[in-house]
Amino acid sequence: MKKTVMMSLLVGASLFAADYSSVIETPNASKIIEKDLMGPPTKFTMPANCVTTDADAIARGSFIFHNLNGGKTKGDAPKGLAKNNADGKPKQYGNCVACHNIEGAVGGGNIGPDLTGYKDMFVATGVRDNQFVYQKIADPRVDNKDTHMTVNLTTKLFNEREICDMTSYIVSPK
Amino acid sequence: MKIGTKIVLSLALLSSFSFAGEQFAMSDADRAMYSEMLENNPADMMVANGEELLAKYGGGEAGLAAFFNVSEEKLPAYIAGFPRYLPEFKQVVALDQALQGLMSKNGHKPFKLKSSDMYDMSAYAKSLANGQKINIDVNANKQMKAARAMGEEVYMTKRGGRGLACNSCHSPDVVGSILRTQPLPAIDGKGNAVAANWPAYRMTKSNMTTLAVRFQGCMNNALLAVIPLGSKEMVALEVYLTNEAKGSEISIPGLKR
Ligand code: HEC
Ligand code: HEC
Repeated sequence: MKKTVMMSLLVGASLFAADYSSVIETPNASKIIEKDLMGPPTKFTMPANCVTTDADAIARGSFIFHNLNGGKTKGDAPKGLAKNNADGKPKQYGNCVACHNIEGAVGGGNIGPDLTGYKDMFVATGVRDNQFVYQKIADPRVDNKDTHMTVNLTTKLFNEREICDMTSYIVSPK
Repeated sequence: MKIGTKIVLSLALLSSFSFAGEQFAMSDADRAMYSEMLENNPADMMVANGEELLAKYGGGEAGLAAFFNVSEEKLPAYIAGFPRYLPEFKQVVALDQALQGLMSKNGHKPFKLKSSDMYDMSAYAKSLANGQKINIDVNANKQMKAARAMGEEVYMTKRGGRGLACNSCHSPDVVGSILRTQPLPAIDGKGNAVAANWPAYRMTKSNMTTLAVRFQGCMNNALLAVIPLGSKEMVALEVYLTNEAKGSEISIPGLKR
């Protein structure tokens, strides 16, 4: 008898006719996503003197290419590149090596094309030029709307100078 | 929960891992972790903790079945259909949110979605559906339809510092490629069917977490702004990926890297 009463109490107090919408966690995420969106695919033109053989620029480009962020690197960053942002948080780098193999890559990925020997294979043969590489890094959606490659200038993760440094590194003789 | 079944389940998982290891060499460290798991499986202890918590705060299996207004016999299949639209919650809810409702009904302050007690309890609750096939119905009503559509959008939308979407790394054309030494896993029913084996124990983190927390991990790694647990968008993402794994057999707790 006692058990039956218990059971019907349980069932009686079940879901139905209750309102649980205010007791569960339902935070709003739409603003977070909206703020996180980027602009449409954007065409960029290399600034003057963008691609250079300057060793410091190439060193910065290489460092950005091979590292994830300033918190994950040992030692100093090359001249002209910070390890932290103004707010003290680690500066994000390109982590390009996650998807691309290139000379000296450690644990390079294969989601993107192998960039080894880029200068001889693609630039010297005229298949690619500096502007192409610059645009690809800045916003690859322009020539491939379904690309899986990261967007680096439209998102403002990097500035023009840094895109130039990476371009200089990729097209440099190694 | 019968310990015997669980051990068999984890053994099955382990052997499939070592098989996968042949096509992509697992590191020695990973191997050591997996064999350690054989000896001493902390995931089972966490699920057992979840069982105690559900008994204490929700009346156990019987309390859960009564809350959902289904018989105990039908409970496993019912659980295999989450996330669901429940009118009493006025929205599509994931299983952990439903458990928050159950705790509240029983006069307890619900565990936070982001808490190890909730991970353990929801792992136990979902393990009640072990052996069932995922039977989510995204056409059940307009709320579920809308959630699936929203989930697909969240999955496909490129955003964040690097302009990446979930799909950038988990679409069929890149699955199996290597991202910085990690093979990119298929997360739908043709691959790891993640909805069927999360909550899972992550050996690299030594903890049990839910699928939504795993989503947050990828958002964080790939520089997408992390969206909060329980948000409509997060539940929608779970609806989308659960539907992608529809028909896959549930096996909780999963064991993950
Ligand atoms: C998440 C994966 C991923 C990451 C990270 C990534 N890429 Fe790529 N990259 C790709 C893919 C995929 C392609 C080929 C598709 C395309 O061209 O859009 C590509 C193409 C390229 C190309 C064009 C090669 C050619 O000649 O066709 C360059 C140059 C390049 N990436 C440089 C970079 C740099 C520099 C970074 C870091 C800032 C980077 N990538 C980060 C995936 C990635
Ligand atoms: C930059 C690439 C990248 C992006 C973007 C990305 N992921 Fe992942 N994801 C990975 C990699 C690599 C792994 C495997 C990691 C490991 O084994 O530890 C993974 C693993 C996962 C897993 C666990 C798989 C399993 O077998 O249990 C889930 C679930 C997942 N991702 C969901 C998502 C969702 C949802 C998003 C979008 C919010 C997303 N990912 C975005 C690279 C990515």
